[in-house]
Amino acid sequence: MDNLLEIKDLNVRFNLFGAKVQAVRGVSLHLKKGETLAIVGESGSGKSVTSKAIMGLIPNPPGEITSGEILFEGHDLVHYSNKQMQKIRGKEISMIFQDPMTALNPTMKVGKQIMEGLIKHQKMSRQDAKKRAIELLRLVGIPKPEVRVNEYPHQFSGGMRQRVVIAIALACNPKILIADEPTTALDVTIQAQILDLMRELQKKTGTAIILITHDLGVVANLAQRVGVMYGGKLVETGTLEEIFYRPKHPYTWGLLSSMPKLHAKTDKLLAIPGSPPDLSDPPKGCPFAPRCPYAMKVCTEQMPEYTYLSDTQRTACWLLDKRAPKVEPPETIGVGGE
Amino acid sequence: MVRYILKRVGYMLVTFYVVITLTFLSMKLLPGTPFKTANRLTPQQLNQLRHYYGLDQPIPVQYVHYLWNFIHGDLGGSFQYGMQPVTQFLLQRFPVSLELGVEAMIAGTILGILLGIVAGIYRARFLDWGTMTFSVIGISIPSFIFAGILQYAFAVNVQLFPVAGWSGPMSHVLPATSLAIGVLALVARFMRTEMVEVLNQDYIVTAQAKGLTTSAVVFRHAIRNALIPIITVIGPLTAAVVTGSLVVENIFAIPGIGSQFVDSIVTNDYPMIMGTTEVYAGMFIITIFIVDILYGVIDPRIRVSGGQTS
Amino acid sequence: MMMPNTEITKDMFAPADIDHSVSEKIGRRSVSVWKDALRRFVQNKGALISMILLTIIIVAALVSPHFSKYGIDDQDLNRVNLPPKITALSWIPLFSGKEGGVDVYKQNGIKQDFWFGTDSLGRDLWTRTWSGTQISLFIALIAALVDLFIGVVYGGISGYFGTTVDNILQRIVEVIMGIPNLVWIILLILVMKPGLFAITVAILATNWVTMSRIVRGEMMKLKNQEFVLASRTLGASNGRIIFRHLIPNSLGMIIVNTMFSVPNAIFFEAFLSFIGLGIRQPQASLGSLINTGYQQLQIHPYQTLYPGLIISLLLICFNIMGDGLRDAFDPKLRR
Repeated sequence: MDNLLEIKDLNVRFNLFGAKVQAVRGVSLHLKKGETLAIVGESGSGKSVTSKAIMGLIPNPPGEITSGEILFEGHDLVHYSNKQMQKIRGKEISMIFQDPMTALNPTMKVGKQIMEGLIKHQKMSRQDAKKRAIELLRLVGIPKPEVRVNEYPHQFSGGMRQRVVIAIALACNPKILIADEPTTALDVTIQAQILDLMRELQKKTGTAIILITHDLGVVANLAQRVGVMYGGKLVETGTLEEIFYRPKHPYTWGLLSSMPKLHAKTDKLLAIPGSPPDLSDPPKGCPFAPRCPYAMKVCTEQMPEYTYLSDTQRTACWLLDKRAPKVEPPETIGVGGE
Repeated sequence: MVRYILKRVGYMLVTFYVVITLTFLSMKLLPGTPFKTANRLTPQQLNQLRHYYGLDQPIPVQYVHYLWNFIHGDLGGSFQYGMQPVTQFLLQRFPVSLELGVEAMIAGTILGILLGIVAGIYRARFLDWGTMTFSVIGISIPSFIFAGILQYAFAVNVQLFPVAGWSGPMSHVLPATSLAIGVLALVARFMRTEMVEVLNQDYIVTAQAKGLTTSAVVFRHAIRNALIPIITVIGPLTAAVVTGSLVVENIFAIPGIGSQFVDSIVTNDYPMIMGTTEVYAGMFIITIFIVDILYGVIDPRIRVSGGQTS
Repeated sequence: MMMPNTEITKDMFAPADIDHSVSEKIGRRSVSVWKDALRRFVQNKGALISMILLTIIIVAALVSPHFSKYGIDDQDLNRVNLPPKITALSWIPLFSGKEGGVDVYKQNGIKQDFWFGTDSLGRDLWTRTWSGTQISLFIALIAALVDLFIGVVYGGISGYFGTTVDNILQRIVEVIMGIPNLVWIILLILVMKPGLFAITVAILATNWVTMSRIVRGEMMKLKNQEFVLASRTLGASNGRIIFRHLIPNSLGMIIVNTMFSVPNAIFFEAFLSFIGLGIRQPQASLGSLINTGYQQLQIHPYQTLYPGLIISLLLICFNIMGDGLRDAFDPKLRR
């Protein structure tokens, strides 16, 4: 198998004040070398928790991985000790966070924050690490890197800080880069710059990217494959083309419909009515059933199994059962900007 | 930065000027003459004294005199010690108080920081709970109670340390400890809050995501950021230690300005009271000034923005 | 297709009647801020115990002096330095009336019990200790009132009106804050005659400053928030905005801060009385009782024990209650 990363039936639970929140319920995913996998879903769907689980950064307590495997190059990271994980983090798998304003240590020079990983993982000397830090800053498009390497985070703008965060993440040439909403906190124009940068860097370094986002525009821009999460479950996954043009899950339809379009016939934004399920008491059927316009009795009773629509696309929905009535996806799901 | 410092120096001088003016005014407002207690003086002697101190002159003139003398380090004569200069007493006794205060501050702050860090890391566990319980007790109970308990337990009951006095390191232990407990409690509590706050920050996750060891994350990233705000409590701490030292010196009969101050209150030695008050005020104002500057130097965010505005 | 599950029958694939408004419903019952705070406060055992202890101390302070037939200044040299004795509890060494194995009561031929003993002038320490507690509680009351009336009003005006008014008021506060409390209080007390009145004035003069700063900050923050702007747009008067929006929203903060400034004031009174600037003889304050007790500490430690115990309990309880209230109003701060 050429899978760099394979997640098998991952379950994550948070034990909060008596309530047990099942944040991730039986998610299976895989990631190939050099590809970009997007995980989309609204807030609370479990996408960020999944990414934190890969990094081994789920705070315990209150969080714990109750079952499942996270195979990185064949090794199960779930059973790695903290010490072993420290050798993976930053070196093999690294992460970019949502808010660049808070992701950097305010009292440490930017250069030093980049150098830390280099000194730890590549056993570089301070001078070499500094040289490499300057190089990295140049790589992520920060002007005058030899000056800025000695500056503090607050001297950088939001977009520039995100570039620094990316430089930190890429410092040791990781095999996987997890980007958790990397552009959400940024201005639209800066967003485009950061996405361009990520695409360019991926071309140069061949790093595989797991992109966590709720923004389908970003997905269309960057990803080759997409996983759609809802209520802690992976409800549909497929290639970018499959998800955007032949989606089968009503939630994916809803997501696509709710994307604002340039040449839309109506000026109304379509929203999915309702709110995500309470994961401290997960529904026994499909989590989307209460909000699904096509819901059937069976949906509230039992979680559907995956239907394999192609080598790459699988969907968990009762509508794909032979016994279910035929349902056509709504017309509103056309891809943005057509 | 330079302009900022100059501005702070200006503020400091103004505040201090207000203090000495206020002490002057309260001297004038005191019931009767300052020599009221010296009843045995003949009217002639009284007049001599009044003339000697310029008390027969109009108040504005006296005020100028007072300021002039103050600038020259003359704080008047002590009533209880036959008009010997107050300045001399203060100079003699101040180092003792300073020593006691500094010992208590250093011991309390260092232990407090350590306890706070530990409590912050092991939040919501027994260690945290214990530290915080101790801290509430330490903050609540006045130092004169601690002084009494320590004196009774370790000097009267079990004779480990001298009951009173200020000679040799053994005599420092009890008074410095009774002052340090409050400092320790306050610092521990503050440090814990800061640690918890900092450990919840995103940049801690960034540091972990780099693959740093837990100790590197705590020491390099968390503690440094948590330590910076500690500087802000130095001001209130100084005030607390000064207040505490008044009573602790008295209880342990330590020859510092604190016990002197209490003596002069009992004997209505006004010049001594005023002089000591001015020393305390001066110390407090200088501490606040140093804290302000220090904060600017240590926190890069303030350091640079201060530089840009000047 | 892939589910050989017998439970799933054809008719289950009929469209379900799902009330979509259900998913819009908020799962939990909505709770008002106050109820929520009360619930959290009651859950906090330490705070609850502190509140009960405080209530006991307050009731005791008000009632206890009436249980003793001796007044606060009834001296009698026949009964000096008697250790505490409660006949019913005399099996407890602390209340046996014995000192160094000698029954001092028998020795002096004293029939009555002195529950907290007597001092070197033969005065009943039970009466004196509880009268001293009354003084501490009076100071607590004054401090709270000063905070609420002067501090809140001053800070409120400064923060709500802003600009010039704020500028002038804040310069005054800066001068007051620049000088340590101790210095202010000592100067004030020296100018007046030491005593309860002087201490009250000193608290009046200094205690409100912290509160005013906090209220000012809250006002500045709140007055530009949308709901206040909305109210203003709808033509609400200044008074309505202040009393309907700003004060209720900063009330939690005000209560919490009051709870912290009260023990501070109690401490200051005790401290001043201890160094001889506070309550004067023959009146008693916990501070002055402790000071008198210290002169006998080596021979008659019980004379310090009760005043010291009560003031410590008072301060600890107020502080724990303050912590509890803070956590109750702002759970974010708990962690």
